[in-house]
Amino acid sequence: MVVENKNEFRKRDLVYTGGLWLISLILPDPHLPYRREFIKKRDFFYLGTLLLLPLILSDPLVYLMVLAGIYAILALGLSLFLGYAGQISLGHAAFFGIGAYTTAILTTRYGVPTVGAFWASALVAAAFAYLIGKPILKLKGYFLALATLGFGEIFLVIVRESRSLTGGVSGIFGIPWFSVAGFTFDTYLKQYYLIWGVLIGLVLFAKNLVRSKMGRALLAVAASEDAASSVGINVAQVKVRVFVISAAFAGLAGSLFASVISTANPEGFSLGLSVLIVMMVIMGGMGNLYGPIFAAIFLTWLTDMLGGYQEYSLPIYGVILILLLIFFPDGVGTRLNARLIYLISYWGRKRRRERVDL
Amino acid sequence: MTSLLAIDKISKSYDGVRALNRISLRVRKGTIKGLIGPNGAGKTTLFHLITGVERPSSGTISFHGKDITSLEPHEIALLGVGRTFQTLQVLGNMTVVENILTGMHTRLKGGFLSSGLWLPWIHKGEKGALQEAKEVLEFLGLLGRWKWLAFQLSFGQQKMLELGRALAMKPKLLLLDEPAAGLTPAEVKRLAEKICRLRDQGITILIVEHHMGMIMDIADEVAVLHNGELIAEGPPDAVKNDPHVIEAYLQGRGVDA
Repeated sequence: MVVENKNEFRKRDLVYTGGLWLISLILPDPHLPYRREFIKKRDFFYLGTLLLLPLILSDPLVYLMVLAGIYAILALGLSLFLGYAGQISLGHAAFFGIGAYTTAILTTRYGVPTVGAFWASALVAAAFAYLIGKPILKLKGYFLALATLGFGEIFLVIVRESRSLTGGVSGIFGIPWFSVAGFTFDTYLKQYYLIWGVLIGLVLFAKNLVRSKMGRALLAVAASEDAASSVGINVAQVKVRVFVISAAFAGLAGSLFASVISTANPEGFSLGLSVLIVMMVIMGGMGNLYGPIFAAIFLTWLTDMLGGYQEYSLPIYGVILILLLIFFPDGVGTRLNARLIYLISYWGRKRRRERVDL
Repeated sequence: MTSLLAIDKISKSYDGVRALNRISLRVRKGTIKGLIGPNGAGKTTLFHLITGVERPSSGTISFHGKDITSLEPHEIALLGVGRTFQTLQVLGNMTVVENILTGMHTRLKGGFLSSGLWLPWIHKGEKGALQEAKEVLEFLGLLGRWKWLAFQLSFGQQKMLELGRALAMKPKLLLLDEPAAGLTPAEVKRLAEKICRLRDQGITILIVEHHMGMIMDIADEVAVLHNGELIAEGPPDAVKNDPHVIEAYLQGRGVDA
């Protein structure tokens, strides 16, 4: 029997190498380069894809991308809080809701222009986050998770019960389209560019944040609070501020959400959404900005796919979350490059091993 | 010589267990003070009290004539007290150079909003900080690995990195909690050399250590704790031959210097 040389070069290896090269061009590389360099070539690739995507997507898919963009803003904000600073929040849907209701109330009752309501939503959500964050961010781990969960539920109860302000269970209708300087975003296509434009702005903000001293402070708080305070980082203050920023992102997302679907009712801001956002961040990877955005797109698409089987969606999310935590505790996006390269080279090695054994 | 750190009659008890009993200690400016003692003597407790991690039951601590007894850890760090940890607290989710940059947190300008908008002074600060961080890494001999993630370094290198993070604060007083624990003899030698160079640069150092040889070589003064009591204080040679120390430390086996 002829034993083949394991290290023999085969044409297939060229394909692997080419494939790896292509992958490395496209995939986000969440590690240091993004924290040191502001913009990389692949960012232009993403930007181009975003701009051209509506050309090939059908209308329902464009609408899906609009929703995905809104959830991506939420996930981006939570990524700063959960992925970078390492604090858990299961009440983020509440800030999303606060943003949506602020816009709804300001535009329908007081006739405030949508742009004004947009910024006001962020401010109101941030103000609530500050008031709530001050006391509860002293908690850690499970306790913080429970406190934020409680906040989310309290928000829902208040919204349902204060009918004069929020319209109770049925909510508020007839929220106008987002419009700026006479230009109204009244089609899905226009909304697509609006929302992803806002997202790009927020990504740039977040990127700047994480490559600055504040980004390092966030990571330091996540790694070791003792070490962080030993270099003069005010841990409590950093936590509150990142919570406020994260809530402001959620408020902006909520405002956009309200103007896109033109209603605001409590069903949209339940615990299910909070868990979904947390899942986006975990799936996208801790300490990673692009991952949560990709995860937001994927999960929004998945939710849509499950549309007909709504009753199974929670168990399916549960299973996905468990699988994620077992196999990708750092998130799928973290070191995705290295993981895929390992996987592909593993296939190559396995094939070769099998051949040798025969 | 003036004392930079003054500890006055400090006591600490945990649920009735007395960890420290009316300890008074002075660290003079520009010197290396060694703090030794058997396990459980209260050395780390004293460190926690100085750095504000815990509050003393009674007594006062003052730094530069300012009472720091009831300040928070980060406020004490702001005054210029840098420290390393007995159990490594390297920030493993960041690169080596970012660990050093984290140490410069208080010396850089900018908050969340100005950082997010990347205003001109942030850019300038980051640029200068990177340069300075590389100088610190060069001093520690870690410059070749500045892009590595901190957890990828060896144990000895992580200890160095932790020292570097404290140095990046440009501290007036540096507290080292067992810097030589777990290092090879060659590494200990290099570390001792670096600590002496830091003193020559004008940094006052308080060092807790089990490694007798190193302490006796580099310390200007040594204090010995035993069961929460200060049993001896003075120049290394005097302390080494103090009968109380020999009895407490090694039950008569002698201090191996």
